[in-house]
Amino acid sequence: MSAPLLVLHHVVRSYARGGLFGRSTRAVDDVSFELGANGSEILAIIGESGSGKTTLARMILGTVRASAGSIRFKDLDLAELRGRRQRLDFMRQVQPIFQNPFEAFNPLKRLDRYLLMTARHFAGASSDTSAQAASDAALRKVGLSLGEVKGRYPHEMSGGQLQRVAIARALIASPALLVADEPVSMVDASLRTAIVNLFKTLRDETGVSIIYITHDLATAYSISDRVIIMRRGVVVEAGDARSTLDHPKHPYSIELKNAVLSPGVGMSST
Amino acid sequence: MWTVVRDLLRHNRGFAWGVFLLGFVLLIAALSFVSPYNPLDSYVVPPDMPPGWPHLLGTTSRGQDVFWMLSFAIRNTLAFGLLVALISRLLSLTIGLVAGYAGGWVDRVLMSINDTFIVIPLFPILVLFYFVMRDNMSWVALAGVVACLGWAYDARLIRSVAMSLRTREFTETSIFSGMSMSRILVEEHLPYVMPIVFSTTMNNINWSIGLEVTLSVLGFTDINTPTIGSMIYWANQHTAMVAGVWWWIAFPVALVIMTFIGLFLLAVSMNEFIDPRSRFGRGPT
Amino acid sequence: MTAVVQVSKLRAYYQTNQFGVQRDVRAVDDVSLQVQSNEIYGLAGESSCGKSTLIKTIAGAIRPPLAVQGGSVVFNFGGRELDLYASGPEAAAAIRWKHLSYVMQGSMGVLNPVRRVRHSFVDFAFRHIAKPMPQFMDIVTAHLARVHLGAEVLQAYPHELSGGMRQRVAIALATVCKPDLIIADEPTTALDVIVQKGVLGMIREVQRELKSSLILVTHDMAVHANLCDRLGVMYAGRLIEEGATRDIFSRPRHPYTAHLIASLPRIGHTATIKALDGAPPNLADPPAGCRFHPRCPLAMDVCKQQAPAFVEAAPGHRVACFAVNPVGVM
Repeated sequence: MSAPLLVLHHVVRSYARGGLFGRSTRAVDDVSFELGANGSEILAIIGESGSGKTTLARMILGTVRASAGSIRFKDLDLAELRGRRQRLDFMRQVQPIFQNPFEAFNPLKRLDRYLLMTARHFAGASSDTSAQAASDAALRKVGLSLGEVKGRYPHEMSGGQLQRVAIARALIASPALLVADEPVSMVDASLRTAIVNLFKTLRDETGVSIIYITHDLATAYSISDRVIIMRRGVVVEAGDARSTLDHPKHPYSIELKNAVLSPGVGMSST
Repeated sequence: MWTVVRDLLRHNRGFAWGVFLLGFVLLIAALSFVSPYNPLDSYVVPPDMPPGWPHLLGTTSRGQDVFWMLSFAIRNTLAFGLLVALISRLLSLTIGLVAGYAGGWVDRVLMSINDTFIVIPLFPILVLFYFVMRDNMSWVALAGVVACLGWAYDARLIRSVAMSLRTREFTETSIFSGMSMSRILVEEHLPYVMPIVFSTTMNNINWSIGLEVTLSVLGFTDINTPTIGSMIYWANQHTAMVAGVWWWIAFPVALVIMTFIGLFLLAVSMNEFIDPRSRFGRGPT
Repeated sequence: MTAVVQVSKLRAYYQTNQFGVQRDVRAVDDVSLQVQSNEIYGLAGESSCGKSTLIKTIAGAIRPPLAVQGGSVVFNFGGRELDLYASGPEAAAAIRWKHLSYVMQGSMGVLNPVRRVRHSFVDFAFRHIAKPMPQFMDIVTAHLARVHLGAEVLQAYPHELSGGMRQRVAIALATVCKPDLIIADEPTTALDVIVQKGVLGMIREVQRELKSSLILVTHDMAVHANLCDRLGVMYAGRLIEEGATRDIFSRPRHPYTAHLIASLPRIGHTATIKALDGAPPNLADPPAGCRFHPRCPLAMDVCKQQAPAFVEAAPGHRVACFAVNPVGVM
């Protein structure tokens, strides 16, 4: 059993609200969990709006600082990251995938630019050719190729393709951890399956761990190893994916599961 | 690039007129290099002659050919306007982008300085500057001072664009691709800021020319250098309107109005073209 | 049952001409459908299939660069017929809100953020319900109870209400004049799962009580399965399958519909679902013939040349696909 990849210990994020003596609200309230203690895994964080899942993702990525508690990535405390060198080292190992594929890239710039830049900064590519080779290899992992992407602007591609390019970009650095914040919620249903399947393949073939943040229980069920269910910043239930989602115990989890519309026609009588 | 200009000329009336007007003005300014008369000389031609041949726009009461004086005047005035615009754009871009991106105390400090400059009353400061410098005042120094008074409004505009760009997801993608802050500002954010910069540049040129004309007409600059304002100053000194020498004032005024309108039309038409949202409608160019 | 609205061969394109670049986006290309009275009709399809443009065109809410190129939209409200695009703007204004109302995507935006909710009701509905203000307010309060909201909502500002409450207010706004036809564009997409369940149940209740017709547009097939009586599936600006929801879900005929239904993830399934290659086509330059042929597993030569016409695969269930045999042909 190896050391866990990511350890969150009583993490809190609070925001001050209102004037001089305003109260503060806790977007994330005392969350603790471990990731990757037994090899690569997909951890799903399930919650609705206001559950704190996006704030949690931002803290793991290092963009937002925790108000209390600690987040350790491979024994490095995120609060102690200082200077560009350390940040770059961290970003080499932890990469994000955002919810809106159309916003993930600058609409005025070509897509391959980001891939080449990531290759230069994080994959040690010292020349144009090696950067292109690294980008092409990553794109092939997601079912695309550099020839298809080169010279293209974001508005020329569909949401599903853009999201795959975003995943490829994140993979160029060969990260240990991918933090995917609702990666398929803005992608069409017919293109969603390809991306969700891709996460499974990546975990199995490249050994990368994935934090999969979503409000969709069904996709979480199909690809994750473990789940955490959050509500208003608090973890209400956590555990192995199948058993937790098959038989939820917390009333909120039960309510959540019942609210999922099943595609069986005319069955619900609410 | 040239196809862009050609497209604009073909489809946008405003742009075409702007190019025409400004082109005309620039032509006159360029002619100053082939002027047969030195602008600092006086009484080189018969004074007070109305427009006709060989003096197309007439002559002044000081014995100078209005046409050739005008060519120098517009050249100097334009150069002044451009210099001010350049310096103040650099200032407002740097301060606006950095304040918007960095946020926190950097933003607060920069904006406090910004707001101080907005509130400073321009005209009294410039007049004061003249009285302090007197004969030592050079045009470049004046341009510097005017530029320092002209960056503040636009810096705030640029800052607000920069702030909204900061929160967009592609900025995060750029950060996670390893880009440094300066690279992000120049390569990712600048294109969004350019429409504002462009139209405010035109405005700025208009404003600084207007300021120069005002100061010169009142005699608060080096009135021996030929500029539009100084021409009008001398015309007033010689009571040109009363004496009936209307061409001395009319032609400089007409030319500077042409300049204003030309720049304005260019700004407005280029703006629509550069705007990122309209660029998507036209597809990749 | 008479059709409340009949759409015939409707074509609506976005025509842009910027700096010499002319572009025709064929968002709605030759669509014909009918909605009966007291029926929930669902329009399914993914992004850029044209469904939002279609209902905007049905509602008459179109502006340049979107323009109707051909076809017609004919309403039948209480026996009176109205051809929307043949009549003038006064006729269209007369039916708006009283007979035809529109719940837009992102309905939160419908409520003026700086005024209390009651002002939105007054703005939208007062002139149609020609009664003095106190009676009008009573009607509105009674109507709000129908969507399980109390009268105190009227005094609140939109930002004081939750997303689910705002959506219910938007639905109440759209139904207060008891219109014959309600068009709802993605009414629950932005809502949490638990809230969505409540709002959908409420939509069904309101429709049953008012006996209005409802055209419900959403890409979420699960919503269609649970709410709609009949379903039309659009792809790339064209209607490709239409029928009773039950029929379509139990036996989808068009390969695209089949894929949409199969790719619905269900809890309890861990098997990998097979994905579809490619992406929806660019509507400014769609493929010739059947627009789905580049991605279709059943594509034949004829599919690349001709656009398939509708065949009746089962009573009341029509499909536009060359691979489907019509009823009676074996």
